[in-house]
Amino acid sequence: MSEQPRLVGRRAYRPHWPVNSTRVFKRRRWPGTKRSMLKLSGRYNPKTLRREMVLTDKKPLFWSVGLLALLLLPLGIASDRFFTMFGIICIYAAINVMWTLIIGTAGLQSFATLATVGVGAYGAGYLSVTYGIPWPVMLLVGAVLGGLMGWIISLPARRLDGLYYALLTLGLSEFMRNFVTQSDQLGGKFNGALFGVGRIIPSDLLASRLGQSLLYLTAFIALLIALAVFRWVNGGRTGILLRAAATSKEDEAFSSALGIDFNKERTRVFIIASAVLGFLGAFYATYIGGTSLQIFSLELLLLLLAMIVIGGLGRAEGAVVGTVIVVGITQWFTDWGPWRIVLVGVLALASVLFTRNGLFGLKAQMEEIRDRRKALYRAGITSRYAEFLAQQAPEIHDKSEIVGRVFERSLRDRLRSWINPELIAEHEAKPLGQHSDRLERMLNYFRKAPIPDKYVVYCEVPFESYRVVALSGLPGVPPRIVDDKKYASLDEAYHAVFLRRVNDLRAH
Amino acid sequence: MIEVVISALVLASMYGLIAIGISLTWASIGMLNLAQGFIFTAGGYTAWLYAQYAEGWGLEGVGLSAGVLVFGMLGSALAGLFVGAIAFLPLQDRDNFRTRSLIATLAISLIGTQLWLILFGPQNKPLPPVFGEGRIEIGPAGMSYQQLGTIIVAVVMLALVILWMRSSRRGLQMRAMMMNPLGAAVVGVSVRSTGMRVLAISGALTGLSSVLLAQVFFVSPTSGVQPLTTGLIISLAGGLGSIPGTVAAAGLIGLAEALTARYLQQSLVPFVLFAIVVLILIFRPRGLGGLLEDVRE
Repeated sequence: MSEQPRLVGRRAYRPHWPVNSTRVFKRRRWPGTKRSMLKLSGRYNPKTLRREMVLTDKKPLFWSVGLLALLLLPLGIASDRFFTMFGIICIYAAINVMWTLIIGTAGLQSFATLATVGVGAYGAGYLSVTYGIPWPVMLLVGAVLGGLMGWIISLPARRLDGLYYALLTLGLSEFMRNFVTQSDQLGGKFNGALFGVGRIIPSDLLASRLGQSLLYLTAFIALLIALAVFRWVNGGRTGILLRAAATSKEDEAFSSALGIDFNKERTRVFIIASAVLGFLGAFYATYIGGTSLQIFSLELLLLLLAMIVIGGLGRAEGAVVGTVIVVGITQWFTDWGPWRIVLVGVLALASVLFTRNGLFGLKAQMEEIRDRRKALYRAGITSRYAEFLAQQAPEIHDKSEIVGRVFERSLRDRLRSWINPELIAEHEAKPLGQHSDRLERMLNYFRKAPIPDKYVVYCEVPFESYRVVALSGLPGVPPRIVDDKKYASLDEAYHAVFLRRVNDLRAH
Repeated sequence: MIEVVISALVLASMYGLIAIGISLTWASIGMLNLAQGFIFTAGGYTAWLYAQYAEGWGLEGVGLSAGVLVFGMLGSALAGLFVGAIAFLPLQDRDNFRTRSLIATLAISLIGTQLWLILFGPQNKPLPPVFGEGRIEIGPAGMSYQQLGTIIVAVVMLALVILWMRSSRRGLQMRAMMMNPLGAAVVGVSVRSTGMRVLAISGALTGLSSVLLAQVFFVSPTSGVQPLTTGLIISLAGGLGSIPGTVAAAGLIGLAEALTARYLQQSLVPFVLFAIVVLILIFRPRGLGGLLEDVRE
């Protein structure tokens, strides 16, 4: 949609640069795939007629600038507060991107995200605390547990539709919390919290700035992994087909006509996303060196949902930017207390009530509003000259004709409003010579009238008898006599012609 | 065994009220009201505030108890209207109403929890015992006044609501909306005012269950989460929109919870409930009642 240049209105700027047209262009592709890195197309510059390359999709630019900022900002400032905040941003953004994959691509309205993350965190964390497994194994265990969890909770998804499934999964987090609280191994000791999970960065290094930077780097890599999985699944053949099927209101027949088993594919996407969520859970456990029951709380789930909603449902960039906004509010204004959560809630509510699809849906929404305003304005212009424009304008080839006719009409309207007895008396007193401004303008208008049916003075006998006639406008065809009145002087005849023309102007 | 049945009945009557509220709202206006937790807590806090003042006025006995019940329901009904004013009225005629109202109600519940925290602090607030303290012995087993009162009040309230929906003009309008919203609108039932009425009624039911549940637990900012979850599960298992189905599901879930807690382990309760719901939904995807197969689409 966005790649097609707009035909009407302002066109988006697309970066372009001249190229050597004698050399053959080789498109760069991601290794092992057919996907191109940048969406480039060649064209001739319309002004210089030189060969040039145009970047048709600017998203990779924004992504690389944004991610670079996300990477460099905390590393550059390197305060503890920033590391904590941006670490949380990276991990939550990764979780949200996977959730977006489930909601947007698979089209499953699942709230089981944090339950899956928690399963990964608690499973891997428990194994690490009890058996001391190293972190690579923990991450693997997390992914396997997450995938398993995803498989289990995707079973009812085949039978249930939409909101029923949302309801079912919303309860899952609460159930998991109950389970952890009640179970002897996990919940007995510290109210469900796990401590002493193995870390990726050795703990003696963690106190230093280098260790903190490295720790942050791992969180950033986790986000990159999530984004890569999102791109791999969402941009792949299945992802595209699934989204195409979802646009036609979950039309399963449509997608099967396209050649995919809708339910099977969306389950597959769901399981992949769940495996990554479990992986992220295990990563979260190693990142903070433990887990707590907070991961199963409804509040955190709602905060994550607020992030997605504020950014825009179904878009990876929305998930990331929403996370930056919400985590920024909650981590930066810590002295506001509960009010900052209220602010987040109000933002989410506002984006549901006033926008169509969060922050990243705003552009399309604004453009639509602008287009509608423009259409209304144009309709207003047309209705002012509704007499002929609305019906005829499309058929008139020469557009200057339309302008001319519009001008003529407004001129006629103005002149007609000037007609009054004083003006006529002025002309009667002195048909030739200097006149008032209005009368002069009116006479000018009369003079430039077209020849056919133009009133003129016919001299029967010089200085004795004059008549008013109308020209035929055709060669060889004599003028017709308008009436049988005869005027003794030229001035009287002039005035008679003037009166006739005024009459016609009045009637027009 | 009788004790298990009694505790199952108590659980069923408390959670069933919430579940019926959710079910009614969904069936008549097509909105999943996930702010039920917020409405629940609103009722609890209103009742608590009333109890504070009532003690100052020297009210005791029946006046206090009845006031706690009435004010709990009133507070929740008002909270229901508030939710409707934010999540129902502005969104009602826009596209994607269901998803958007779902998100809006979730946002309200996020805000609500924090507001309670700001207003009342994180401490648990106890409500005065509405039904007095004591037990009655029936044959081999006994039950406390609180258990008996809970069952009776819930059943009476439910019967009143059902009777009202069956016999009154307003109830007829609601049932028309549940059967066919478009058809109801065509014959002159106002979608907006009926929707707000439904929200107020389901809010009142939730408030009642809030007061009843506060006899066992306390009122706290997050006390609405657990009942909301269980209410959701029950309304789902019962089939959204079907009152008999919801009542049956409430009984079933209550029984399962009581049995599991008694003979297995408390920690297994979530899994048993989840397994039951999934089983029900696998065999009957629209729940036990399951009458709204195609009407809602």
